[in-house]
Amino acid sequence: MSTDPRFLIVDDFSTMRRIVRNLLKEIGYSNAEEAEDGVVALNLLRQSKFDFVVSDINMPNMDGFALLKSAKADENLKGIPFLMVTAEAKKEDIVNAAQSGASGYIVKPFTKATLEEKVQKILQKSA
Amino acid sequence: MGHSDGFSLHNGDAAGNENTGLNAQAKPADEANGSAPTEDIYHRIGHLTRTLHDAMRELGYQESLSDARDNLPDARDRLAYIARLTGDAAEKVLNSVDRARTVQGEITARAQGLRDRWAAVAVYTSGAAAPAGAAAERATPAGAALVDETCAFLASLDSQADLTNGILTDIMMAQDFHDLTGQVIRKVVALATTLEEQLVKLLIDATPVEQRKKVDPVILEGPVVNPENRTDVVSDQAGVDDLLASLGF
Repeated sequence: MSTDPRFLIVDDFSTMRRIVRNLLKEIGYSNAEEAEDGVVALNLLRQSKFDFVVSDINMPNMDGFALLKSAKADENLKGIPFLMVTAEAKKEDIVNAAQSGASGYIVKPFTKATLEEKVQKILQKSA
Repeated sequence: MGHSDGFSLHNGDAAGNENTGLNAQAKPADEANGSAPTEDIYHRIGHLTRTLHDAMRELGYQESLSDARDNLPDARDRLAYIARLTGDAAEKVLNSVDRARTVQGEITARAQGLRDRWAAVAVYTSGAAAPAGAAAERATPAGAALVDETCAFLASLDSQADLTNGILTDIMMAQDFHDLTGQVIRKVVALATTLEEQLVKLLIDATPVEQRKKVDPVILEGPVVNPENRTDVVSDQAGVDDLLASLGF
């Protein structure tokens, strides 16, 4: 894992992408790109190297679950940790995310402390 | 009346067809226990349905359906308007937060430079660095107090900046309402769309059979992917509106 990990923030709401980007910057990670849905995200992941994906679930075109499963099924992408940040709070969604290979799951609305804790934990585990 | 005839004929056929199968099994039992024949029950249900349908029509039920259906697109537009405006507001707040952070950063940086210089002034005015034999104090009491107060203020700016940044983070995080409410609005819009489709279906069901046949296939097929190659489907909402208008709704 790079000392300056590159993040991909995936959310169909630009406001949320901006919030996550700013929070990551406050935490100390300013290297981040954005995608508005799973299709765009998957293309970006295949085009250049990313170290961490922070993804929403409920999105048009390709949702977060489909993105996660596609990435985990791809030999070149399966090692990238996924942190799901979503308003979906159903247990089956959380279990589904975990079984699909997500490294973490945050339910919106969330705090800076929660995001920081999950990101740090996942990065330490991936190191 | 054409409308009533069409409706009763349609239901009568359906009831009659089902009767043939169901009645064949039910009849012996009916005859055995002496109850009314099942045919009669179906006939009465059909009659009740026809009466209900006629009553709804006379009460203007179709017009109500038509009004409700006409109002749904407007409701969707209003919801979309709310989503757009709240989104714009959230973006404006985030822009302001970014600008405030920049200003805060500049103030903190300038304070850092001034703090070091004022610390040197404080040492000088207190006489702590004065050579032996020189006057210990190089400022009036008021001047020395002002220097001390300025140094204390500049020293406190870091913690003040941390506090302000924390508040700005809270303001930024509060903008997540746009994402959360936006998702709810999106679901309501989807619900309104489904409701509208059902209302259109209901309206068409309530039309005379001859005209209903013209539009039934469109309803059952779901979304049409190649309307330009077909003459039996509508390609947009205006087409739906025109069709409904031609049916008198």
